[in-house]
Amino acid sequence: MTTTVRSLTTQLQLASLDSSPNGATLRLAGDWRLSHVDAAAAALSALPKSSRVVALDGRALTGFDTAGALVVLRYLQELGTDPKSATPQNFAPHHRRILEVVSGQLGNVTGAAQTAQPGFFQTIGRNVVALWDLIVGHVQFFGYTAAGVGALLTHPRRLRLKELAAQFEQVGITAIPVVLLVTFLIGVVFAYLLGVQAEKYGASIFVVDGVAIGMAREFSPLLVAVIIAGRSGAAFTAQLGTMRLTEETDAIRVLGLSPMDVLILPRLFALIVALPLLVFVGDVVSNLGGMLMADQALGIVPATYIDRLHKALRLKDVIVGLVKAPVFAFFIAIIGMRMGMTVSSDTRSIGINTTSTVVQGIVSVILLDALFAVLLQKLGI
Amino acid sequence: MAPGAPATDNEVVLEVDGIVTRFGAQTIHDGVSFRVHRGQLVALIGGSGTGKSVLLREIIGLMRPTAGTVRLLGTDVWKASAGELAAVRRRFGMMFQDGALFSSLDVAHNVAVPLVEHTYLRPEVLWPLVQLRIGLAGLGPETGAKMPSELSGGMRKRAAIARALALEPEMIFLDEPTSGLDPITARAFDKLVRFLVDDLGVTVFLVTHDLDTLLTVVDRVIVLAKGKVLADGPVSEVMQTNDEWVQSYFSVRTQIGGGNETHGT
Repeated sequence: MTTTVRSLTTQLQLASLDSSPNGATLRLAGDWRLSHVDAAAAALSALPKSSRVVALDGRALTGFDTAGALVVLRYLQELGTDPKSATPQNFAPHHRRILEVVSGQLGNVTGAAQTAQPGFFQTIGRNVVALWDLIVGHVQFFGYTAAGVGALLTHPRRLRLKELAAQFEQVGITAIPVVLLVTFLIGVVFAYLLGVQAEKYGASIFVVDGVAIGMAREFSPLLVAVIIAGRSGAAFTAQLGTMRLTEETDAIRVLGLSPMDVLILPRLFALIVALPLLVFVGDVVSNLGGMLMADQALGIVPATYIDRLHKALRLKDVIVGLVKAPVFAFFIAIIGMRMGMTVSSDTRSIGINTTSTVVQGIVSVILLDALFAVLLQKLGI
Repeated sequence: MAPGAPATDNEVVLEVDGIVTRFGAQTIHDGVSFRVHRGQLVALIGGSGTGKSVLLREIIGLMRPTAGTVRLLGTDVWKASAGELAAVRRRFGMMFQDGALFSSLDVAHNVAVPLVEHTYLRPEVLWPLVQLRIGLAGLGPETGAKMPSELSGGMRKRAAIARALALEPEMIFLDEPTSGLDPITARAFDKLVRFLVDDLGVTVFLVTHDLDTLLTVVDRVIVLAKGKVLADGPVSEVMQTNDEWVQSYFSVRTQIGGGNETHGT
């Protein structure tokens, strides 16, 4: 007795079963290529599941590729039939070839979706470990750099003046315009904000105290350090990271030079020298901005402003700001260079590390500034 | 011909006609023309600076030639609309020299990119298909979870082949498939390429420097020199071409084969 069951899911009868006492023959028809493979899979799943398939018939196939072959062979697997036990019949030679190739590959196909996303606690745990590793790594790099500075003190001739000058130009001189612009505007805004309040009490002249002390002690170092963390910290990471990817750092080593002397120390010294100078530029320019605003909005002429500036601003306020700057510079440089030297061997990690440098640089500058505020408060300076 | 190839053996799948490429005053190609038939494995060779890679980029629509036409799978690449070009791009695959895998995705997701972007497959069909592609490219199932940066050069190239195979292309372009590989890996790669042609019926067009690839698996060689096609035919014929560059190119091999004559002349 022979019965024919046909799938009715599509107009084209992509798959049908011919049952016989010896087992069923699965007949494939129509287009079994990638573009139609979903319909083919649907046609298969609409077939009755009970039959034992002993043969595959490909006479009516108009198109067949590895995707189609995979779908039909996996269907047989799901039925519990060994795909190799189903004899292919009437396949065109190249269709049969594809069927054999895919049949040989079935062992590699598990069908399991890729690894699951890590859970909530797993993510937290991983991030904590990563943060710890990061801090330990920074401390190690700090030690490594300190050893480099120590070696330089005993052999001062190893200082590479050419690299130092080039770096100083990059991190210092070329940063002047952006520092001018930002600190001038902040001086203007600061004078305006203070002026609005001070005017109510007829104490407009104290705007000078506010701008001068505030900018010199806090805002100029902080703003300039944030600008430099974004500008030079990111540049250090990108430069050193690219050099690592292209094996330039290895070439430096092989040529008998030390990356510490050639790359790291010049950048470190350049930034430590440049940042206080830029902060001083910021101190001056922010007062120019304040002076402009005081003249325009509060009627304090520049001569009066300068006179008050002499009385209000103590040298120690300026020095506090200038002392903070090299400390900020040191942290920005260490973070930027360490993140550059730990770029792994793919281009994506340069982007990741550069982003991370900027975030770490700015956060560390603000943390340090808070630390300074507490310390100086306790010391009464 | 290849036993697995479809019956339409003489169909032209790639027709390059009168390609001229100039960069400023420098002329790279000065009328390059050839055809590639379905089911063939064709290699493009030529000395450094003859513009092989440039020609490949012009064929697949990445770089516009100064003049000339490219008909790829029936579409004029440089006259087609954006939609037509997109349609033809789904029908061929390309393996770049170092794989050009997306470094933010693991191998399985790299292979899945074309399938996810251009088909509407359900995950239970898609992921087995991705694993099949990885297997067909000769990589183990565990490779799928690896990131491109964790792979060796040969594995990266295989992963790139798997991605190029994703959409069941009719044609695959390979840029220097064996460069940077050790001889054993390179010969295994040649076998893989031959398998694509013989068993999957894919037409392969490759740019190569590798003599062993030419002598063992390639059906036809096109020699590019002085901006023109210098020779075009089976390797055995091309070797006989009376040209200094072709002769010195193939003589490296005959010298090694010739044993005693190695130090001759």
